[in-house]
Amino acid sequence: MNREILKYPFYLIMHPFNGYWEMKYETSKKMNLILSFAILLLLVLTNVLGSQYSGFLVHIYNPAEMNSLMEVTYVIVPVLFWCVANWSLTTLMDGEGKFVEIFTSTCFALIPMVIINFPWIWLSNVISLQETTFYYFCNSFAVLWSMYLLFIGNMTVHQFTPSKTIGTIILTIVAIGFMAFICLLFFSLVQQMISFVTVIYQEITMRN
Amino acid sequence: MLKSKSIVRAYLLAVVCCLIGLSEGGTLVYAEGGGSSYNYSVWGDTVAAPSAYEAKLLLNGISLGVGAFNNPSDLHVTADNEIYVLDSGNNRIVVLDRQFQKTAIIDSFEHDGQSDTFLNPQGIFVTEQKHVLIADTGNKRVVHLDQNHKLVKIVDKPQSDLLRESFDFQPVRVVMDKAQRVYVMAVGVFDGLMEFSAEGAFTSFIGANRVMVDPVELFWKKLSTKAQRSQMIMFTPTEFTNLDINDEGFIYATSGEWGDNIRKLNAQGSDILRRTGYFNPQGDIRYTSASGPSRLIDIDVTDSEIYSVLDSKRGRIFTYNGDGHFMYVFGGLGNQLGKFNSPVAIERVGDDFLVLDKAFGEITVFQTTEYGRTLNEAVRSYYRGEEEKAFHLYEQTINMNANLDFAYSGIGKSILRQGDYEEAMRYFKQSLDQGNYSKAFLLYRKQVLREHFGTIMTVVIGLVAVFLLVRIYRRMLNRKRGVSVE
Repeated sequence: MNREILKYPFYLIMHPFNGYWEMKYETSKKMNLILSFAILLLLVLTNVLGSQYSGFLVHIYNPAEMNSLMEVTYVIVPVLFWCVANWSLTTLMDGEGKFVEIFTSTCFALIPMVIINFPWIWLSNVISLQETTFYYFCNSFAVLWSMYLLFIGNMTVHQFTPSKTIGTIILTIVAIGFMAFICLLFFSLVQQMISFVTVIYQEITMRN
Repeated sequence: MLKSKSIVRAYLLAVVCCLIGLSEGGTLVYAEGGGSSYNYSVWGDTVAAPSAYEAKLLLNGISLGVGAFNNPSDLHVTADNEIYVLDSGNNRIVVLDRQFQKTAIIDSFEHDGQSDTFLNPQGIFVTEQKHVLIADTGNKRVVHLDQNHKLVKIVDKPQSDLLRESFDFQPVRVVMDKAQRVYVMAVGVFDGLMEFSAEGAFTSFIGANRVMVDPVELFWKKLSTKAQRSQMIMFTPTEFTNLDINDEGFIYATSGEWGDNIRKLNAQGSDILRRTGYFNPQGDIRYTSASGPSRLIDIDVTDSEIYSVLDSKRGRIFTYNGDGHFMYVFGGLGNQLGKFNSPVAIERVGDDFLVLDKAFGEITVFQTTEYGRTLNEAVRSYYRGEEEKAFHLYEQTINMNANLDFAYSGIGKSILRQGDYEEAMRYFKQSLDQGNYSKAFLLYRKQVLREHFGTIMTVVIGLVAVFLLVRIYRRMLNRKRGVSVE
């Protein structure tokens, strides 16, 4: 049983149509969620380790500006935004996917970015400038593979046609833009309110 | 129990203290002289640096015994250190020797049997043969005098199809190359520098600046009518602000505030300045948005491709090496010695600097400090390929200024040649020199693989053997049990 669970993500990335179908209708939701969080965690770990330990030839980093917590948000926030925006749109567009399914399918699509990039953290330390081409090739390959999986996952989860999926994905990106804008607005308003209150408090305390 | 706990605490405290000490020590850098000047680190941060030049002497017309300067606008120093000061307000040229003693004054010349004078000249250039070229702005001509200050030729307003009828020829800066071609920078010319042949005939424009277009402005221009458009400012390329020529005949030119404001022009007029430093040579890279970037108005090229530019906005002189690495900065606006009011021209006399202040009519003489001397010499020996000498000099500079990041690369190169690849890699990493790091790394990798070839192969063969044995053993077990695999 345990072995099956570990093999399943690898099966999914190699056979996305069958894999996502099984994910939607056959495998247990709980197991999928556990795997999804594990994948997210691994991606965070890959990014943090990558920004710290990648070879000097492929990654110049300023130790003064290195922040592991930011790496966590760089993974979590886009995934959450994507899921929320996609869910909001597809419920209006007769998509069959539930939020959990969207979330798990998105997380499973990130697997190539972990399994390809993780070994390259160490390999990038033993390559020369000419060999960095392989590094960049592998990175781009991982991203393209992930995008492909994301597309298939979205299509299967919502039972859409390919063209409708492409349309939803474009709309989702637009929606993400709107959400980011609203978030920024919200935060800046809250910031102004807080500073307003603080200034009044300061004024009152300074008066006597 | 209690006691052991307190011992553990004491150890913990010691460890924490050590860690704090380590992290503090890691970022500590040392700059001699309390860091009176600055430099930019590889990350583009401003870091302390010792001053490379110090003001030693202030010269003015009265102390030189030639009467006060009136709005002097240009300086030129020849290879044998004769100093030509263009005293524009008094329409004369004052010639000084290396000891700052007056040797001659040029205020008139013989022209068609009559004595002719200058009118508000703005630029001066002296060739190797001591021929003097003066951009005689007020008289709209360029005057070429020989070593005895006798007239050779006069370059007047050129006649050419390339020029408008109404073109007003107002030369402000001039240089001459070894083939006696004259390059003139004139007011209101956006097509580049004007090139004249040795006979004084106009040949062409070279090195035009490219037009910089603001997308927002372009958008409005697209929307507006023709009448409105004619009211708007035209998109024009920036004018050059100054130029100099080096001993190989390349023209170095400065222009405006934005974009590539320093260029090195080849004979075709294309820009061949090497910009391989941590940031492009452009004066200050960190400034407030209120004050804006540096406005470069003069450039001086010396040997080994070292060049210096003058920023009129903040009165600073920036020096770069041929690779575009920022070496040092000095000067500033103010009233003390070593500060200026309205600097207009810089020149090197040997390794000393002369800075001409237009409003005060003064020349400030700067001399190298120990640090400046070592750094100059280090860059020179590196340029000449004397790596051993450069190594020692760079090491001295780093002892005086640990923040000089590009020096580590110079040291690394020498160490690489000595064969200590791992140490060389460390130095290249310090100065973010990926190309050389890669070179050192390849050699290092080869060395390590060669040294440990035996071990590596043994391990590989051992692993393969173990893997095969396990497979054979499994197959035998399965056969015994009578279970068929696959």
